[in-house]
Amino acid sequence: MLKVTGLETGYGRVQILRGLDMEVPQGRIVALLGGNGTGKSTMLRAVSGLIRVWNGQIEFNGERIDNKAPDQIVRRGLIQVTQGKDSYPSMTVEENLKVGAFTRSDKPGVARDLERVYDYFPVLKERRRQLAGTLSGGEVQMLVIGRGLMAAPKMMLLDEPSAALAPKVVLDIFANINRIARSGVTILVVEQNVRMALILASYAYIIRDGRILIEGDADDLMHDENVKMSFLGGTVADSSREYMS
Amino acid sequence: MDFDFTSLFAFILFGLTIGVVYGIVALGISLIYSGLDIVHFAHGEIYMFGAFFGLVFSEHMGVPYPLAILSAMVCTGLLGIVIERVFYRRLTRAGGGYTVAGMGMIICGFGMSVVLQNIAYLSWGADAEPFPVDLGEPFQFGDISLPKSYGLTAVIALLLMAVLHFFLKKTKIGLAVRAVAANKDIAFLMGINVPLMISLIFGLACALAAAAGVLIGPMQSVQVEMGYLMLMKAFAAAVVGGFGSLPGAIVGGLLVGIFENLGAAYISPNHKDIYAFLLLILVLMVRPSGLFGVEVRVKA
Repeated sequence: MLKVTGLETGYGRVQILRGLDMEVPQGRIVALLGGNGTGKSTMLRAVSGLIRVWNGQIEFNGERIDNKAPDQIVRRGLIQVTQGKDSYPSMTVEENLKVGAFTRSDKPGVARDLERVYDYFPVLKERRRQLAGTLSGGEVQMLVIGRGLMAAPKMMLLDEPSAALAPKVVLDIFANINRIARSGVTILVVEQNVRMALILASYAYIIRDGRILIEGDADDLMHDENVKMSFLGGTVADSSREYMS
Repeated sequence: MDFDFTSLFAFILFGLTIGVVYGIVALGISLIYSGLDIVHFAHGEIYMFGAFFGLVFSEHMGVPYPLAILSAMVCTGLLGIVIERVFYRRLTRAGGGYTVAGMGMIICGFGMSVVLQNIAYLSWGADAEPFPVDLGEPFQFGDISLPKSYGLTAVIALLLMAVLHFFLKKTKIGLAVRAVAANKDIAFLMGINVPLMISLIFGLACALAAAAGVLIGPMQSVQVEMGYLMLMKAFAAAVVGGFGSLPGAIVGGLLVGIFENLGAAYISPNHKDIYAFLLLILVLMVRPSGLFGVEVRVKA
């Protein structure tokens, strides 16, 4: 559904992505993993059209979308869900959700999706008249995911939905991401929380220095020694213990 | 000296009517600031153009006064959109507000103000033109008689504020405008056509200034230099209320209007124009971010 080939981009003269290739098939949850400053968010910004693509191609549903205007990309059904801090804090929860539905003109459909979001995240319904700035970190993350859903997307790009949240909240949010995926929305989730992301996703890419370093089925990566060592909190002590026993 | 409550009330009433006009110009300045991240220094000239458009429609073409206000708003709004598209767009793309490029934006605003003044000078001459509008007998509030033009001004200005409020709070496009003002990247990611909304914001702000121009016209007169003082007063109003805050702009406008009239009445009418700035300094000493201002937004 989303196919990125040889993607090169950056900010000003600083190149961040150096020929990134990846693919997200329809109906799947794919994870893009990596630490700070490896180019994860840059990749999302390029796909969403917020920054210019220098080289390479981005295809969505068989159509080239690289260097199209962001609103044009949203209208094709590809929406990016930013981190929770990017809600509109001075708008109410419900207004935030309505901004998400900006591209749509079918009022009954929008009303239905609003109910769906409230069904997924009941706490948003309780707080729908509150300003988004008064929500907790977890609630505001739910809000931006809900706001993305309001666009009735074919595919969602999620930028670190677990960032700075308590494990229990992360679990709740990931369960809902899974539910959204089962309703037919293809998902690319960008994460630093490698362990959680590998449980959620069926396939994963690991990015370093603007290139894909490792890719594979999530289950395989979970048990891959290299991945364990570098990303799953394994230490040299762990592996030496295994070596000695 | 006997203290006379009737005249005090009259001064406040006159202050309020002129204050709502400062308020709608300040609203435009605040709208542009929150929408485009720029401080628009040519807004006084936009206001002056609005007044001239109103004069042309009303006096030279015989359009009824309320319709002249509307027509002037439309023409000035379109003029604003052209200015934004052709000149400001290139500069705001490079960054507005506090960025280094934002400095260029401020200079550009001053330049635009000089250009617009000279265009107006060439088109309409340097003489102050009277803008007579016959609205009939003044309103009577007890002993105070308020000319109809003042009453009408207050009513129309309040109506415009109400319409703007409804537009921003209750319509989909209004919601999109607020989204763009709050965060352009996120607005883009929600599928909002941000450049179009920015033009709309700028056009709206210019239309508001035009309305103010046509409303002030009959009270004073219409002349090429009228923009400068209005810009200063409206800035004072916007800053007093909290720069970028829309309710703040209105309240700031009212306060400036009242303060100015009271100062002229009880201190000295010769220095009428300094009271706005006196108020500005006083308010900033107590609340540096203005009455309705939230903490200062610092941009990278």
